[in-house]
Formats: sequence, C-alpha cells, structure tokens
Amino acid sequence: MTTDPHSKTPTTSLLSVRAVEKAFPGVRALSGVSFDVAEGEVHALLGENGAGKSTLIKIISGVFPPDRGEVLVDGKLVDLARPDDARRAGIATIYQELLLFPELTVAENIFMGHAPRAGLGRIDWRAMHEKTNALLASLEIHDLQADRVVGSLSVGNRQRVEILRALSQDARILIMDEPTAALTEYDVTRLFDIVRKLRARGVAVIYISHRLDEIFAIADRVTVLRDGAHVATRRVAETDAAGLVQLMVGRRLESLFPKVTVPIGKPVLEVKDLERRPLTRSVSLTVRAGEIVGLAGLVGSGRSELAQTIFGVTPAEGGEIRIDGQKVDIRSPAQARSLGVAYVPEDRGTQGLVRPMTVRENFSLAALGKVAFGGFIDRGAERRLAGDGVKRFAVKTSSLEQIAGKLSGGNQQKIVLGKWLANGPKLLILDEPTRGIDVGAKAEIHRLMGELAAQGLAILMISSELPEVLGMSDRVLVMREGRIVAEFSREEATQESVGAAMMGSHQNAEQAA
Amino acid sequence: MSEIPLPQVAKRVVPWWLIRHETMLALILLIALIGLGSLNNRFLTLDNLLNQGRLTTEVGLIALPMTFIIITGGIDLSVGSIVGLCAILLGYSWKVFGFPLPLAMCFSLLVGAAAGFLNGIVITRVKVPPLIMTIATLALYRGLAEGISQARSVRGYPEWFYFIGQENLFGVPAQLWLLLIAIVVSAIVLDRTTFGRTLYAIGNNETAARFSGLAVDRVKLIIYTLSGLMAGLSACVLVSRVTTTRSDMGIGYELDVIAAVVLGGTSIFGGVGTIWGTVVGLAMIQLLKNGLALTGVKGDATIVVIGAVLILSTLVASSLQRKREGV
Repeated sequence: MTTDPHSKTPTTSLLSVRAVEKAFPGVRALSGVSFDVAEGEVHALLGENGAGKSTLIKIISGVFPPDRGEVLVDGKLVDLARPDDARRAGIATIYQELLLFPELTVAENIFMGHAPRAGLGRIDWRAMHEKTNALLASLEIHDLQADRVVGSLSVGNRQRVEILRALSQDARILIMDEPTAALTEYDVTRLFDIVRKLRARGVAVIYISHRLDEIFAIADRVTVLRDGAHVATRRVAETDAAGLVQLMVGRRLESLFPKVTVPIGKPVLEVKDLERRPLTRSVSLTVRAGEIVGLAGLVGSGRSELAQTIFGVTPAEGGEIRIDGQKVDIRSPAQARSLGVAYVPEDRGTQGLVRPMTVRENFSLAALGKVAFGGFIDRGAERRLAGDGVKRFAVKTSSLEQIAGKLSGGNQQKIVLGKWLANGPKLLILDEPTRGIDVGAKAEIHRLMGELAAQGLAILMISSELPEVLGMSDRVLVMREGRIVAEFSREEATQESVGAAMMGSHQNAEQAA
Repeated sequence: MSEIPLPQVAKRVVPWWLIRHETMLALILLIALIGLGSLNNRFLTLDNLLNQGRLTTEVGLIALPMTFIIITGGIDLSVGSIVGLCAILLGYSWKVFGFPLPLAMCFSLLVGAAAGFLNGIVITRVKVPPLIMTIATLALYRGLAEGISQARSVRGYPEWFYFIGQENLFGVPAQLWLLLIAIVVSAIVLDRTTFGRTLYAIGNNETAARFSGLAVDRVKLIIYTLSGLMAGLSACVLVSRVTTTRSDMGIGYELDVIAAVVLGGTSIFGGVGTIWGTVVGLAMIQLLKNGLALTGVKGDATIVVIGAVLILSTLVASSLQRKREGV
C-alpha cells in the first residue's frame, strides 16, 4: 500500500462531499447532502431504502455526476464523471451484487484490467500470482489460493476477492454497500477483521448496512440520511440503537418485534419424513393455526429448499404432507395455491416480483382467478384488488400503474406479501421476509405477521437473522444439512442455544465450501 | 421514498401514447404511404392495397402466434418448414391417399399443430432452448416435406378450393377475412385474458411467474402448438392462392414473420409487445416492398431498404426503452 497511516493526522478528511444534489425524473434523490470520511475511519451510512444512500455512493464512485455540489479527495476538487475517474482518485466500491467473473481465477479477477505486464504486452503471470499472494498475506487470508476459480468460492470468499481487487488498485477510500447481506455469521466476523485491518492502515471505509448491531461493532461515526437529506452525523460511541432508528424513520418505533400472543389452533401443515435430495432429508414438522414457527439455519442448510418442496416448486420424492389433516400430493405451485399455501420467496427480484410489470399486475398475478371470469380479466376488479392491497399494506407508490421494480425494497416486499394474501391462504411460508429492507418497513412487516397470526393464519418463517427468529416465533426449528436438528420453545430459544444448533459441524462445512 | 415531482417532468407535453413504439411506427408508415403514393399513382388505390392484404395474409397468420411466442422470450424458426410440410401433406393426402379435399385440409392443419406441439413439448419438458429446438425442426420438417414430395408438385385442385386464396368476399379478399378475425381474436386474448397476462409474466420473469402459480409450461405448449396450427392454415391459404403444391413453399417465412413482429415493437428479449404493433409491422413491410417495386426500385434494393428500416426501428425502440426506464 502506498499510504502511510502515520504521515497525516487522523482527523484529515480524505473524502468530503459538499452540498450534493441529484434529481431523477419524478424523484429528488439527494438534496444538499454533505458528508466526509477521515483517513483510518469507518463511517457508516444509514437510512431507509430510498433515503438516498445508493445515489450518494454512486456519485462518489462516478457512476453518475451530481446536479450540484462537489466532491473533494485530499482537499482537492475532483471531477468524477466516470467510474474510471473515481478509481484513479483511489475510490473503490464493493456492491451488493459482486461483480466478479466466475469462470476466472482469484488472481485473474483481482488484476482484471490492470494485470502486471511482461514484454510485448503479455501478462506476467508469475508477478500476478506473487502480488496476489502478497495481498492475501497482508490481510491474513489463508484459506484462499490465487489459482482457485472464483465460481467455486463461498460468498464470503468471493467478497474477499472483491476487497483484494480494490486494494490491488491502491484504493484509499473503500465503499461497502451492505457487505453482510448474504454472509454467514462466521464470514461477518472475518469481514470485520479485515475492515479493522484496513482501518489500521489508514483506509477510509464507507459502510452501508441496515443492521444496527454491525454499525455499533465496526463504525466510528454514522451519518443518517432520510428522504434524500442529511439528518445527522454522530459518533457511534455517543449514540444508541433507539436513537439511530428514530433519526432514520423520523419517529419512534414502539418495539422492534411486536409479538402478540394469540390462541394456537389445530395443525394446518403437517409434514412427515419429507424427502427431496440432497437438501430435504426426512423432514417432519407441524405448523398450527395462529402459530409462527421460525426456521433457523445457515445459508445452504436447506430451509428454502424445504419451503419450495412444500410449495410444489420442486415436488417431494417421498414422505407426506397434510393440510388441515388431509393428505395432499403437491406437484406445482398452482396446486399449492389452491390448497391455501402461500410462499413469499427469498429472492424478491427473481422469484417474488415481476419487476418490469406494474404494481396492479403484480398484485393480481397470483390471484388472477379472483379477478378473471371465464379467462377474461375484469379490469375494474383487478384495480380494486390492487388498490385494496396498496392501502392495506401501506405501499408507497405513485399509482397502481407504477413499475413495481422502481419501488424501494420494502415496498416491493409488501407487494409480494400482498399478492399472496389476496388469495386468503391458510398457511403462509415467509422466506427471509425482511432481508435487505429498512427498519421502518421491517417493523411494518413484523406487525403484519402478528396480525395475520391473530387471524388464524399458520406462518412458517425462514430467517437468517437470529433476533428476528427469536423475536417473532412461537417455536423455533433449526435446520442443518437438510435435516431438522433441533426444536426450541419460545422460552428455550436464545441466541446461544439456537446459534449452537445452527453451527453444529460448521467448521467442516466451511472447509468444504 | 421521496417522490417530489419535478417541474421539468410536469411540463412534459408529449402524451405517453405518442412515444409508444406502435404509434411511432404507424406515423412512419403513414409518411411512407404518402411519400410512395405521391411518387406513383397506382400505389394508393383500394385495389392495390387490398391485393397487398391478400399477399400478406400467409405471413400475417403466423406472425400472430409468433408475437405470443416472442413475448414469452421464445422464438419459433420452424414455421416456414411447417408451411412446406403442411402444403405437401395437403396435396399428397388428397392426391395419393385419396382424402376428400376438406379432410385433407383438416389433416394438414392437424399436422401443423402436431409439429408445433413437438416443438413445445421438447422446449418445456427437456428444457431445450427454443432457438435450438426450432432450428433443428426447421431442418427436420423441411426434410420431411422434401422426402414426401420427391420434387413432384401437386396441381389440379377443384375450382371451389381457389376461393380462399383468389376470390373476394364482400369486396375484400377472402383470406383477408381470416386474417382480420385472427387479429381481433389474438388482440383480445393478449390484452384481456389471464392467458395473455401469463405470456407477459413469462417474458418478464419466468421464475416469478412459476412461483406465482401460473401454468407456465402449459401456456408455452399451447403457443408453440398454435404457431404450428397457424402455419398449417397459412399453408392451405398459400396453396389455394398459387394453385400448386411444392416442397419449397414457405422457405424464409420465419424471417419475414419475425421481422414483422420485431418491427412492430415486440421485444426479442420478451415481456413487451402488442398485436397492434405486429399488424403495423406487417403492413409496413408489405407496403414498402410493393411501393418500392411500383416505383421502379429493384428487388435487391427493396431488401436493403427493409433491412435499414428494421435497424432504424430497433434504434428507436431501444431509445424509447431507455426513456421509460428513466436513467
């Protein structure tokens, strides 16, 4: 690395953004936001979806220019017209969707576009490998080899490759956009180690996350944005979670997990010895009316696969499913739907929502039978269905004809939820219902889950967020390697007990990845 | 979300329907019509226009189900070969098997549907990409047609049979009525029914369509079968019009059909498209061909012009797409 952390005082602003404004047709994304990061500082950027965080980092990383305002690096005005300008100014961004080439090796990915050259423009493979190994050693990463193909790596390791790639370009300002969204707890710990090492070297890190506990674990300062405006910048040591949430949403949330106790009724879903290799192995479970059952487990433990087997996307190969005591054989989502099963999938963008279609069309997609007569869609009925949904779930949209993909993550999730509830299901399977959505929308979805349970809906909730599982569930099941390995009552379930059951033979699994 | 409308957006004076691809294309068509009409007084006559309608029917009948298929993000390249196969089997079953002609027509429609069904079943069950599957059957069906015909043509159909392809009904070419009915039905199906909505959903996000419980595979099977059936119908109309059956009938139809559909604003990536656009696309290609020919432009130059128009329309379409997406 070229920067020496001791050559400057730690209070120097490495990057400062002054009074930046940006508008898109119909939306004012940023209005006069100022923000700065010092050398060797981790500065968290916090705000609900649509608050302007993404726009701000896109301006800093040169994806598009601001309408007004300026960006300074090292106190000097820089013109960030293209991503390449930002790279030259020492700014690197690690986006949520990692931008790697899965068919190429670790070293090739790290040096894509700036590989060390030998004579005649040939790539100097040996230098490239040596440099890669030096980078790996500098961050004390020992389980990654320069010649591994990136496609075979775990998400955590792929992210490390992205970080190395940024460092290989001598980045002094590193922007991380929700880096932990897809990581296991173990990988999160390792990520934090790396971030601390970078900070010690004087790298300025802009850290975006929805998870408040992470901000308290890693950040020095935090800036809160709301509706495109700068709300506050605080030292993390001088603030608390409740205070930050209040700054973000502009109001106080009563409680993060509004679990209401409701009478629990008869079993709605009974699954016995369900098989669908390799990730559903002899699974048995019961969900009762009014009950919220949390399904915990590591990424890849087979939770989504189980849900999709119950829902008929990947029909079962053995075992039995009973709905309301009746034995059923579910072969397709359409059949699951007619039996009163609803599934809000994990991946909103590819499984839940048809993003290029309108809010109206998305709301009616799973309930076309309700608004169509003899195959003909009754447009009035469809608009009413969508209008009711928008009202019931408080979806913030300019109209029913708005393209669904342009809404914020929280609003998209409400549409996916709403489209399934329009069918009046008996059993609702929620797969990561609040992943990647902001605190306000999250609280609304939790409140809604409570309401639905109170109305007698049986809910099976898959979540990788332990506080959510513990906070919302009546019962917690833990999956590992395709099996249910533990069950806890609400009272028994703690971070430690559930966490331990999730890990189990965790070390072996990580090495296999 | 901060959705504060900005002044420059509120001031937008161009109404939304004007920047639609179909409207732009219709405007270009109108200008081309007037231009070509002023160069040549035989062009803008009712007789000529109706006759062009007659000539475009065979391609038009296939372009309608092709619009459905392309909206789902698929493609059917085998339609021209199905036309050839159906035409041969129409003649062959009448002449050699001794089927009564109406039965032979039904047989040829059935063969068309079966050929499309085969495409559909392999595409949905074996998950072979539509492009690969229909390239394969493009060769397969044409080979069958040539094998059955042994380079012999069939002629001498009964007089009544030529009515479909050559006569007028209420002053309009008989086959044009077929096309008009098919257009209206397709437009209603696409715009108003759950079937049509399913097509758009598949094209925009097939996984989400599946997860929403839509009958994705069944719908795909239906549209490929329909495509084959309409190619069979097109074969009957074609044989009736040209009074003979040869195994090379329908060669290159797939390109004319796809050109018309894509020119009409249907996205080759799926999810976007209308029947109305396809109709304008069909009219555009046929009238350009005819207008240029009447004005004395040679055949080769006409193809060049049509190619240029297609490229131009793609440019317009992609710039409109960018405009819709904002950034």
